[in-house]
Amino acid sequence: MSALTLYQLVALILLCAGLFGITQRRSLVGMLISVELMLNGAGLSMVAASQLTDFSQAFGQLGALFVMGLAAAEATLVLAIVVVVAKRFGSARTSDITTLKE
Amino acid sequence: MELLAKIAFGIYTAFIILGAGFAVTSQSLVRSLVGLITTLVGVAGMYLLLASPFMAFMQLLIYVGAVSVLIFFASMLTHAEQGGDEASGAPMKTYVLGLAATIAPASVLGWMLMKNPVPSIEVPTEVSIKVLGSELLGSYFLPFELISVILMVAMSGAVLLTWKKRGQKKEGEE
Repeated sequence: MSALTLYQLVALILLCAGLFGITQRRSLVGMLISVELMLNGAGLSMVAASQLTDFSQAFGQLGALFVMGLAAAEATLVLAIVVVVAKRFGSARTSDITTLKE
Repeated sequence: MELLAKIAFGIYTAFIILGAGFAVTSQSLVRSLVGLITTLVGVAGMYLLLASPFMAFMQLLIYVGAVSVLIFFASMLTHAEQGGDEASGAPMKTYVLGLAATIAPASVLGWMLMKNPVPSIEVPTEVSIKVLGSELLGSYFLPFELISVILMVAMSGAVLLTWKKRGQKKEGEE
């Protein structure tokens, strides 16, 4: 197996762990943790793909850097939304805040 | 890869898998956050192996330094104590469906990865920070500016969302 395939497999494991976490977690904070796992997998895959092929290396690294910036912005906004939801509903459990089903 | 690089790769992979497992399955949110941090440090090691020390540094600085602290604040502010939100696992149906939703993309993507191996360089070359900086202020100037705008909007949005208006309660009561 080539080195690139190994790195991509690790990134795939991160993506799938994040997917599984999103479906299993019962609170918004746990889901946020899973999303961070998936974003990490994306960054790792991009850097590995650009460093281990003939493609432009700066592009891959800067792309992963932009992913990190987006993750920071997303975490900030989700923190604020979770705080507002927790104030309004009394908890951040997903089962408590689904009002559409009722 | 050389032998030492292979050993380092194995150790980092073990870190990543263990941390991700902990982050996803742990019943306490604080423990799951510790698992996430373990994974992030493992990914930083992977960046070092890929000859991009700048990315490893940024990973530690942004993810471990900033994002983890943000998530910790979130779990603190929502009173996610032990035996709280996550104590009771998901029902069996959700568990099975979630497992199916994970295995499907994993098998398809894994099969594609194994089937079409891309020819890869064995030893990655390092890009100096000077080159990265000149690219950031040259070809990729627009995304660089856009990401700062997005960060600004997200921060001010967060402040706006959690802002408590003075006298709001009074108006509601009246």
